Amino acid sequence: MSVVTDPKIGLIDGPVHSRLDSLNRARGWYDWAGYAAPSVLDTMEFEYFALRNQASLLDISPMHKYRITGPDAGIVLNRMVTRDVGKIASGQVGYAVWCDEDGMVIDDGTLFRLGKDDWRLCCQEPMLDWLLEAAWGFDATVEDESHAVAALSLQGPTAYSVLSAAGLDVGDLKPFGIRDLGEVMISRTGFTGDLGYELWCHWDAAEALWDTLWTAGKNWGLRAIGYDAVDLARIEAGFMTAGVDFQPVHATERLNRGHTPFELNLGWLVDFSKGHFNGRGALEKVANSPRSLLLRVDVEGFKPAQGALVYSGKRREVGHVTSGIWSPTTKRSIALAHVKMPYATKRPENLWAEIYVEQEGQWHTRWARLTKVKGPFFAPPRARATPPAAT
Amino acid sequence: MTRFDAIVIGGGINGLAAATTLARKGKSVCLVEARNTLGGMATYAIGNGPPLANLLHNLSPAVLASMGVDPSAIKTRRLRTAVLGDAPVIVDGAAARMADGTPHPDSERFAGLVDRLTSYGALLRQLAEAPAPVGAPDTMARLRQLWRLGRFGMSVKRLGKVEMRRFLQLLLSNAYDAVLDELPDGPLTGMLAADAVRGAATGPRSPGTVFNLIYRMGHGGNPELPEGSMTQVFNVLADAAKNAGVTISTGVRVKQITLEDGYVTGVETDDGPLKAPLVLSTQSLPATVRSLGAAHLDIEATRRARHLRARGTVAKVNLQLNGLPELVHLPDPADQYRLLIAPSADYVETAFNPAKYGGMSDTPVIEAVIVQGATGPWLSANVQFAPSNLTGGWTDAAKDTLLKTTLAAFAPYVPGLEPRIESTQVITPSDIETATGTPGGHWHQAEMALDQLLTLRPVPGFERGRVGPAGLYLCGASAHPGGDVMGLAGRNAAFAVLEDLA
Repeated sequence: MSVVTDPKIGLIDGPVHSRLDSLNRARGWYDWAGYAAPSVLDTMEFEYFALRNQASLLDISPMHKYRITGPDAGIVLNRMVTRDVGKIASGQVGYAVWCDEDGMVIDDGTLFRLGKDDWRLCCQEPMLDWLLEAAWGFDATVEDESHAVAALSLQGPTAYSVLSAAGLDVGDLKPFGIRDLGEVMISRTGFTGDLGYELWCHWDAAEALWDTLWTAGKNWGLRAIGYDAVDLARIEAGFMTAGVDFQPVHATERLNRGHTPFELNLGWLVDFSKGHFNGRGALEKVANSPRSLLLRVDVEGFKPAQGALVYSGKRREVGHVTSGIWSPTTKRSIALAHVKMPYATKRPENLWAEIYVEQEGQWHTRWARLTKVKGPFFAPPRARATPPAAT
Repeated sequence: MTRFDAIVIGGGINGLAAATTLARKGKSVCLVEARNTLGGMATYAIGNGPPLANLLHNLSPAVLASMGVDPSAIKTRRLRTAVLGDAPVIVDGAAARMADGTPHPDSERFAGLVDRLTSYGALLRQLAEAPAPVGAPDTMARLRQLWRLGRFGMSVKRLGKVEMRRFLQLLLSNAYDAVLDELPDGPLTGMLAADAVRGAATGPRSPGTVFNLIYRMGHGGNPELPEGSMTQVFNVLADAAKNAGVTISTGVRVKQITLEDGYVTGVETDDGPLKAPLVLSTQSLPATVRSLGAAHLDIEATRRARHLRARGTVAKVNLQLNGLPELVHLPDPADQYRLLIAPSADYVETAFNPAKYGGMSDTPVIEAVIVQGATGPWLSANVQFAPSNLTGGWTDAAKDTLLKTTLAAFAPYVPGLEPRIESTQVITPSDIETATGTPGGHWHQAEMALDQLLTLRPVPGFERGRVGPAGLYLCGASAHPGGDVMGLAGRNAAFAVLEDLA
């Protein structure tokens, strides 16, 4: 379900647009849920290396944000998502995925437990309709906060130092923790696999928050970045993106384009012991019989494998690469790829990508052997250290 | 605490049919009914007034056979239909006569149409007399399902090329066009149009209304008045249930359907818990969802359940009389007829118009019979259209308007009616909803429309009446094939359960 931009209105400004506009020398804007969001502000390489070596600031306010409150809020969410939300303590964030009645993933997102009966769900796809359906008949209220709550993502090894310099000390905040400081709420979360924080505030307070961080970040190498740099970082972290690495089933029109959590390596998020949840009946039947698997793979050579078809033994087409990059930090070519069963598990050393390479108007194909990787491609210890090093 | 093989919620025709069918197959069954009397919506009455259902026209012999009831134990008197008007027409089966006994000028064409619809009804009954053809649990059941579908297909084929084409053409069309293709508009088409929309939130021009007419004629469609009253019929059925070993608890309200690990474990009643791995519910789908708890169903399922179309349009107006009223132009006393105010198909369609927008008809379609009560005769009338979603709600003033409208509609044809009235009762669809829990007070718990029939009844995804957790089934009018005092929904659910257990 993509948000269609009204051509008469065009893209609209986010809460810190004036700041981004003056920084956007590359003039790279893209449509994120109807907002003008930067893809690149000066060069993607500078931005990426700021993210991995210094600190980066990204406006993530266009993300869809929903507030679910009331005595039955937890029941509603447990009914909707596949994990047991009861295990997410107050002041904690949990990653979650939710499915339709056929067990196909609708979207994934982060659940912020702000209080006993107070939750915020952040996700890429519009979800108000679905949340209202889930809440029907329960004592819970669903509110779309997408245009009321702004969020800035501060990521990178010096992110903690930037916050300290801004007078926001969250040294004891552990990964997935939340700290409410009144005007601003800080969660130790992100989409980069690195040390990082997300700062949440009222839409109108976002500019002031941006300026505070900007000033504080001067001596810590802080750089405003666009999504292109984040995309590299998230692939290195092994994170998948809706609409790229899986198709949100409500946004598909063709049959069988959806995926179960098991096919996306999210089986660990499915809790059959918690009682009924949406798609449970269907998921119980298919838990042990995925049709394909989303693999993390090392790609031989150095050519980005984006869009490559995957073959078994260079002969049988068995899948395709959904996200493939040259990873600047790990210095290797890495990819996420959907591979059909049984080829995803049977003789995985026999998987090859047929990469299409364009060089000055000429196309070539390169065979690159794929090697399955367990866990993220890049997971620096600094991402989890508490308190973080004051680098 | 006693354990049963199955618990049936609701003691109406379908609850009794399901419970007795299962019991006769060796299951220990407990039937719980919230009211103190059996019969469900059919026998619901206020005080000493007549029950909501007065006539039998669709009681299934297959149900009686499954329940072990001798059909002759149900004593009824067949009524002729008098379509009231300046020149009333008397219809008996396929025969249409004028009041003086001469054949109606269109009687031959009318008989042809009725015979054809009746034969179509017999055809569709093949589908009605088995669980909906989807979701069979194993190979044998699937083969049986295929066999039944194949047999139905062959029966349609055997109609012959011309008649098959006519059947398929007619099945999905609207009653108005279908009857006016055969007959000029008048009392005969008025009667067919009224019978096609009774209980429904449709007018004769609404698509699919021919199906409803055929459904009504599934067992001939002749109005039969039970000897004594509808309660007598249910006494016979209740005896059959008891003979089969069904434990019947009346006056026990089910508060909650209980579960463990996604399996039904029984029900919690205001009398304590009852345990059984199977629960069959004659409650409407929304009520069943409430008893279960939406948390135990998928979100899509509750979405479909809440968008179920069930808007009742029939109010009951009961008039207690101090003697039989005279009928204008008709030879026999009033208690010999089913009285119909539906002078033309256009009249019926016009009566429907206000109901589209939450209004009641000022020229209603009425079906009435004389019922003998303990204290004398009642004229019991089904008045249509009186929608459950009446603008402004069913206030006392609205009820009074409905009563006056009803009396005004009778006035030209039954002029001596008003002086004979001792007392009156107006039972609106909202009252029926409050009393029986049926959404919108709808006769069939869910509109009998093509998108809510057969494998799609009451909504897609509840195949063979299975709802959510293993062991829970719908077995009331909202299950396949639908309502009326017929019992097939209950019998089908029992068969689906037995197949699933096998």
